[in-house]
Amino acid sequence: MTTALAGQNPSTRDRAGETDTARRRKQSWAPYLFISPFYLLYVLFMLVPVVVSLWLSLTEWVGLGTPHWVGLRNYRLLATDISFHRALGNTAVFVLVAVCVVVPLALLIAQALNTRGLRVRDLWRTAYFVPVVVSPILVALIFGLVFDRQFGLANSVLRALFGTGGVDWLGDPSLAKVSIALVMLWRWTGYLTVFFLAGLQNVPRELYESASLDGAGRLRTFTNVTLPALKPVTAFVVVTSFIGAAQIFEEPYLLTGGGPAESTLSVTMFIYRAAFQRQQFGYAAAAAVVLFVVVFGLSQLVNRLLGIGRAS
Amino acid sequence: MYPPARPNRRALLRGALGMGTAAALSACGGGSTTALTSGDVTLALWTHDPGYEAFFEKGTPEADRLTDFRYHLKVTRAGASDVVTKLLAQAVAGRGTPDLVGFEIGSFPRMLRGDIAERLLYDLTDDIAAVPGLKDDLLPARTAPFSEDGRVYALDSDTPMVVYFYRDDLFERYDLPKEAVTWEEFAELGARVHQDHGASMCVVSTVGSDAGQVVQSFQMLLYQRGGAFFDADQNLVLDSPEAEEVLRFLCDGLRSGFVIDVSDYYGAAMQTALKQGRVIGLPMAIWYKNYGLVPNVPEQKGKWRVKALPRFAGGGAVTAAAGGTGFGVIKDKANTRAAKEFLFNTWLTHEGQVRRFTETGYLPTRRSVYDDPRLSAARDDFCGGQRLFPLYRDLLPQVPPFHQSPDQSILYDVLAGNLLRAYHGDLSPRQALKQTAADFGDQAGR
Repeated sequence: MTTALAGQNPSTRDRAGETDTARRRKQSWAPYLFISPFYLLYVLFMLVPVVVSLWLSLTEWVGLGTPHWVGLRNYRLLATDISFHRALGNTAVFVLVAVCVVVPLALLIAQALNTRGLRVRDLWRTAYFVPVVVSPILVALIFGLVFDRQFGLANSVLRALFGTGGVDWLGDPSLAKVSIALVMLWRWTGYLTVFFLAGLQNVPRELYESASLDGAGRLRTFTNVTLPALKPVTAFVVVTSFIGAAQIFEEPYLLTGGGPAESTLSVTMFIYRAAFQRQQFGYAAAAAVVLFVVVFGLSQLVNRLLGIGRAS
Repeated sequence: MYPPARPNRRALLRGALGMGTAAALSACGGGSTTALTSGDVTLALWTHDPGYEAFFEKGTPEADRLTDFRYHLKVTRAGASDVVTKLLAQAVAGRGTPDLVGFEIGSFPRMLRGDIAERLLYDLTDDIAAVPGLKDDLLPARTAPFSEDGRVYALDSDTPMVVYFYRDDLFERYDLPKEAVTWEEFAELGARVHQDHGASMCVVSTVGSDAGQVVQSFQMLLYQRGGAFFDADQNLVLDSPEAEEVLRFLCDGLRSGFVIDVSDYYGAAMQTALKQGRVIGLPMAIWYKNYGLVPNVPEQKGKWRVKALPRFAGGGAVTAAAGGTGFGVIKDKANTRAAKEFLFNTWLTHEGQVRRFTETGYLPTRRSVYDDPRLSAARDDFCGGQRLFPLYRDLLPQVPPFHQSPDQSILYDVLAGNLLRAYHGDLSPRQALKQTAADFGDQAGR
């Protein structure tokens, strides 16, 4: 003869089991429910546009009516498009300026702003950050006047100091790139300085004291203490600058319109022009896909080189 | 009787989602498409120029009188290119399109891409033909820019003739002729004036950010000389002896100082040059008086005059055309008929054409209006009381047609770059034109 567990009715035990199962099932859904808004937005604003762009890049579409399937024709045309090659080259120059000039300069400025005993520190910091928040249109207007060949401030200064002026900053293909680079320096440096400044303020004071006790000078302290400590911040800044420069649009669009002679045409401007000035949406989508692949691939490579995302 | 069951949370959410979807779909459906044939109507007008807004507002009573509608305008202003961008975006969305659109001439080629114009714009051709004598009265030179395959999709706002604006006082001071001479003779005189007084008598734009402006300064003289960008079949015809001649003329002028390059016809550079007397004359469309000279040098009122362009020794006309805005009607909308009738009864009536000139400074596009005595009698204060209209009337037969192509923006981009190279001496005029044709073929051929 078998007996039920003392105090336990079989039906009661079954109902308790069912309740536990339901509770566990409900609990197992909870995390997904809480993270679903992010993924919903991610799908809507990231995956769907990417998929649509991929599909559109295989079509010929003027913006109205039905896109016509053309397969890989847009990509084949891109491969031989001189303008696209020019845009890639220009963008590469801007990337190099951002990574090799702007980033180091931002670090040096941050180092200066972090110096102990600096007077009116907040004023200096504000001065460097102001360009970040100034309207791009206003920036273009100001620098357009500064760089004017005949009456600009830059040439006026050159005439006053060296007796020679008339430099065609925006009309000469080579100088136009220099002009864009100078505007990038002015606009972007302050933004990156903020990150470096935050990183510098988090470097343990003890490290500097130890270096000082060991007799390290300023340069050695900078290279052996500051730079290693800033590696994570530097990595982030480099990748951010790289991606930002690869997608540069505002400066060349507003200041030079991609000219003269496409000497400042960026890939993003190429895409914009193809889509909204020439009504070649399929072609623009193909260029956008190529840009995405290149930027994604290179940024992943940079991430690996700099050890971003790798557990220390 | 049992009380009604309370809906659970899931049912409530499902119902809310359904209602939201229904509301969204209703919103996407847009307004009614039943064509209005009379009564009160509010027309959505998109334009880049406040002058057109004022013109149409003032023309509303006349349109009310001549049609079965009572018109109200709802105007949206945006940049010339943005008007087209926004229009196409709304067209793709299937709602929110205007009834009447002003297409600045440089933006209209986007409507020629594929079948956009045919799909989106009302074809005005038959309506023009239905008005006795109108088709022959409209200037072909000004319907061409807004036509495709013989169909007219927009009506131009102006006959934007190119003339020569000059400082009368400085021409007298520098002993320069005011009567017709050839461009070549003019250039010799200009070189002397530049050497003696640091002034120039012709202008080209070298603004790197605006290909259209760079191209326009070359285009005006090119079309005067008899050259063109595209023919009536939208084929590129730029690489021509006329183009090479004109470009060489400008390049030589830049070296001698007869021609000055400015970074912007409308900006600080031109303003400074005008104020300093470094530009004492320039070829430009008639609208430049109101948009370039008056805003930049109002204190020079009474000192400027207008005359026909010098003629090239090799031939051609003494005028050309540059600029313009065509107003088109969006098809298949409830207000399409009302918009078309409004356009015809404000834009194309005799009184409307007269008002164009007296109120905006734009020239009529109907030949018959040029004989109106009210236009001949008008005097221009900025030009020292000069009666400009008789000059324009005399030039009218020489206005060349201007054909556009859906690939025009490609041409402007590549041509602007090569023009700058030629101006800087990096390319010869012939090389610049050959390179432009090659670049255009490469980009437009896809």
